[in-house]
Amino acid sequence: MLKQYIRKADIILFIVLVVIGLAASFALSFSRSEASAGAKVIIESGGDLYAKYPLAEDRVIVVPAPKQVNVDAPAVNQDDPASAQYDYYNIVEIKGGTVSVTEASCKNQVCVRHGAISRSGESIVCLPNRLVVRIENGSGEGGGYDSVTS
Amino acid sequence: MTQSPRKTSPAHKPLSASFIARVGLMAALALIFSYVEAIIPYNPGIPGIKLGIANVVTVVALYKFGAKDAAAVSVIRVVLAGLLFNGLFGMLYALAGALVSLTGMILLKKTGLFSVTGVSMAAGVLHNLGQLLVAAALIEDLRIFFYFPVLMFSGIAAGILVGIISSLMMRALR
Repeated sequence: MLKQYIRKADIILFIVLVVIGLAASFALSFSRSEASAGAKVIIESGGDLYAKYPLAEDRVIVVPAPKQVNVDAPAVNQDDPASAQYDYYNIVEIKGGTVSVTEASCKNQVCVRHGAISRSGESIVCLPNRLVVRIENGSGEGGGYDSVTS
Repeated sequence: MTQSPRKTSPAHKPLSASFIARVGLMAALALIFSYVEAIIPYNPGIPGIKLGIANVVTVVALYKFGAKDAAAVSVIRVVLAGLLFNGLFGMLYALAGALVSLTGMILLKKTGLFSVTGVSMAAGVLHNLGQLLVAAALIEDLRIFFYFPVLMFSGIAAGILVGIISSLMMRALR
């Protein structure tokens, strides 16, 4: 009875797709490593670097979303930049070597539910506000690698 | 928008009434599926993981009536569902996913090697891939491909399920 639903080519395709998926997760697992002592938290907003903080220092950062994300969003209140009075924002918290997004203006709250990250290479993404929070190991752009060969 | 005078070029063939009626019906059905899926309170925490039950209609349209019907139903459904439930950004992702998976489905069906389930499985994966590409372009960061394996497996699973439902449905419709 199953025969008319599944053919040989389907099974081959299935295996190919699963192998690609496994290979990708295997490759990605290598790009994450323990955060080093000088690891930095990098916050990008709208594709540009917004801020960079050491992972070791606790702090709370309010990141307003770039205005162009929502055309009808009011301009960010420049007189009171520390307030969370923005219509579109994320609040990022660095605490005890972990980073999490504790509050977001967006509807889906995926970034909040993502939980905390603590390892180098991990990231939290908020698509509606075009926010990327990620951890990178200290020393320069090369991250935690001594060298990379291809 | 400016109003352009209605022109009928010789190459332009008007859509037949039966095509319009058929696509309208199927798009309405697909929209209801989208709605049902939107109101089910279940959230796996990762965007993009869902069954996509509305794609059953697209698959059935492709096999019963051809590529043109499937494309019309799929695009109408995505645009309407975007306006009604998912918002403009959601619509952008869904549209990218729908177009990529439609192209894939049409091509795979043409080879004649795959069953409905296989075609649908590929479509599920391609749908997620298309969404991921748009997300990467919007956020200007390729690191979002961390989600790739997760979306790959969820696409396979959802695609197989949709395929099985579609083939059962087609058997009932015959």
